[in-house]
Amino acid sequence: MATLSALLPPPRNSRAGPWYLVLACLVIVVAVVAWSAPLFLTPGNLSNVAAQVTPLVITAIGQTLVIITGGLDLSVGSLISLTTAIIVLDLPGWAMVLLAIAAAVTVGTVNGVGIAFLNVHPIIMTLASMSVVQGVALITRPVPGGTVPGWISGAVNGSLFGLPAALVWIAVAVVIAAFLIYRTRFGLHLFAIGGNPNSALMNGVRVQRNIVLTYILSSLFAMGAGFYLAGRIASGDANVGTVFGLDSITAVALGGTSLSGGVGSLVGTVLGSVLVGVIGNGMNLMNVSAFLQIVIKGALLLAVVSVQRRKQIGL
Amino acid sequence: MAAPLIELLDISRSFGSTRAVDGVSLTVQPGSVHAVTGENGAGKSTLMKILAGVIRPDAGTIRLEGREVHFSSPLGALGHGISTVFQEFTLIPNLTVAESIFLGREPMRRWGGIDYPKLRSGAAAALARLESAIDPDGMVRNLTVAEQQIVEIAKGLSADARVFIFDEPTAALNSADVEKLTRLIRDLKARGKAILYISHRLEEIFALCDTVTVMKDGRHVATRPTEELNEHDLVALMVGRELSSFFPPRAGTVGEPVLTAIDLRTNAASPSVGLTLHRGEILGLAGLEGQGQRGIARALAGIEPAEAGRIEKTGRDGARHGLPVDAGVGRTLATGIGFVPEDRKGEGLFLDLAIRDNIALGVETGRPFWALAPNTTAVIGSMMQSMNIRARNAEAIVGSLSGGNQQKVLIGRWLSSGVDVLIIEEPTRGVDVGAKAEVYKLLRAFSDAGGAVLVLSRETPELIGLCDRLLVVHGGAVVAEMAADGATEHGILHSAIGSRQAA
Repeated sequence: MATLSALLPPPRNSRAGPWYLVLACLVIVVAVVAWSAPLFLTPGNLSNVAAQVTPLVITAIGQTLVIITGGLDLSVGSLISLTTAIIVLDLPGWAMVLLAIAAAVTVGTVNGVGIAFLNVHPIIMTLASMSVVQGVALITRPVPGGTVPGWISGAVNGSLFGLPAALVWIAVAVVIAAFLIYRTRFGLHLFAIGGNPNSALMNGVRVQRNIVLTYILSSLFAMGAGFYLAGRIASGDANVGTVFGLDSITAVALGGTSLSGGVGSLVGTVLGSVLVGVIGNGMNLMNVSAFLQIVIKGALLLAVVSVQRRKQIGL
Repeated sequence: MAAPLIELLDISRSFGSTRAVDGVSLTVQPGSVHAVTGENGAGKSTLMKILAGVIRPDAGTIRLEGREVHFSSPLGALGHGISTVFQEFTLIPNLTVAESIFLGREPMRRWGGIDYPKLRSGAAAALARLESAIDPDGMVRNLTVAEQQIVEIAKGLSADARVFIFDEPTAALNSADVEKLTRLIRDLKARGKAILYISHRLEEIFALCDTVTVMKDGRHVATRPTEELNEHDLVALMVGRELSSFFPPRAGTVGEPVLTAIDLRTNAASPSVGLTLHRGEILGLAGLEGQGQRGIARALAGIEPAEAGRIEKTGRDGARHGLPVDAGVGRTLATGIGFVPEDRKGEGLFLDLAIRDNIALGVETGRPFWALAPNTTAVIGSMMQSMNIRARNAEAIVGSLSGGNQQKVLIGRWLSSGVDVLIIEEPTRGVDVGAKAEVYKLLRAFSDAGGAVLVLSRETPELIGLCDRLLVVHGGAVVAEMAADGATEHGILHSAIGSRQAA
């Protein structure tokens, strides 16, 4: 019961955003996909969807933290790529893990310090770090390949504690984030910063420090997604993360989290990620061209953001 | 005399080369209300921000019950028992009331989480002490301004503050809420709190405060018990000279109608309104607050389209223009109607731009978009001079000006655009006493030159003093019309409420 209540927002919380809209959307999309592609509802395909969606859920959860403060993290995609590249380096396991964590913390710190202390706009800051990190990933691993340690593959494929590993890792990410967002003072302060940074400062919220922490967390979640993905594809690939920048923002926005900050929910982000995953999987099953899928994803983000804007300007 | 609860000694603070506060000392006794007043730019807000922990003094000490204290943030000040209700509230819209009350000092559990039950009960207790029915779990964004203020006070109570600072607390309240606030402040006083009350409003100072300190140009002018003073003395202390009259003389005769509204309905449910504004006239919309005055003014200005009705505007050349109610600001402006909103920072001015740019917008009004920008230096220079806008030069950023000067810039924009009707909400909100008189003079000069002004104000004495004619609005309808000369607050209230009883 205690865990369950930790997962739910505090009662009568109305800064969660309209996450139920994405739930309705998801139901409709699942129905449509299931109807037009009978393969969709087979257990094999469903576990495939879960495995595909997991890295997106993890990345989008980190992205949610950032977006609640009114920021944006475009660098998560390249960081995922860099993590997979680090994983296949010829290093002892502990050294590799430490290096991955160090890389994530460094990227997050640089992003956060640039944004919070040097007042660089989040888009510019993370666009720049996205490019730098992408470059470093390509230098580390110019062509896909390498060997992923067995313990990583083991932890993400098949099942853990009798449950599909994908679901276990989603649950771990959700529980950590739910605790941070809904039960700690850090979480409350994230919403306060997103609501009005100046007022937050006046009330003793350490705005700058919290923003830096948020970007570090976002990077760490992306790193986690990188581990998962490396285990799945069994190789290091400096381009594997590219789609996650746009996809994670789309998922968060679909989940009702306001891109101007202060409003958002975890449940929305999870559902939004699943929706993005189901749409992708459904289009694959229906043989929609991969390039057209990119077009559709962009249009989806545009549609969601327009709806949000429309509400803000009161039409 | 009891020992002072709080003492400010020789406080100074400079911004650049300006000494905003210059060696000011102040003591407040427990169980008393101490007013701090003075013109805008007198330094009273800076002084209060120092006491509130927002800015640090360059020199001087603050003593709380005889002990020197230091803090560098409002939270730090609150930790020492000093609570401030800022003019611009510091509440965050997407937090709940309870979260807002404890923001920055949340009760924690041993494992690092927020103790939400304790947070909620603490907030409920603080609100109960204020006899407020606000739901601690409600979101701040759903609260009225008055309720937000109560939450700010509850924040202080929950932290056991002993000193409460109120910065222009009634600026955005209607008269019923002002009364409630007055009761709350008296209640705080009865509990032995020390209260600092910053205000321009003389009647409030006399009604509520025991002592008044007057500041001018960053310096302390005088501290007196309020019972030793009358309004006249106080104004003289504030301005440093005697104001012969606040209000300019009224118009002798009025000209032909310039703006007529026929059967105007601001929304589907509201009654229809007819009114006529004449050249040379200042017309006021009076009555209790929130009775639809704002909707009428905004419909006439084209800001919030009305539901139905007809608006006719006569140009300077005598030509009549019918304006559809959904014409929009562009059309109303083109026919010569300027609008000065109450929220001039949010809706009127471009705070980050220079005075030049803010006024030039008016000069550009009505010019085709391909026209070359005219050289506005001379126009703006003479405008600044004739309006007595106090700023370094036309390049000064509007956001850095005092409220009075900002208002003059906004009025100057429309004067330079050649409009002949000015619709103005709360012409002197946040404007100090000296600048108030100047704003009144400007409006009168505008109407004397053949313009017409429609004024909305919460301050009925202002309407009575400034206007030629008053329309009393109640329940969205014009229920009475009277000459401003000889009108009384009592009479206006009577005709507003009398109409309700009759209905």
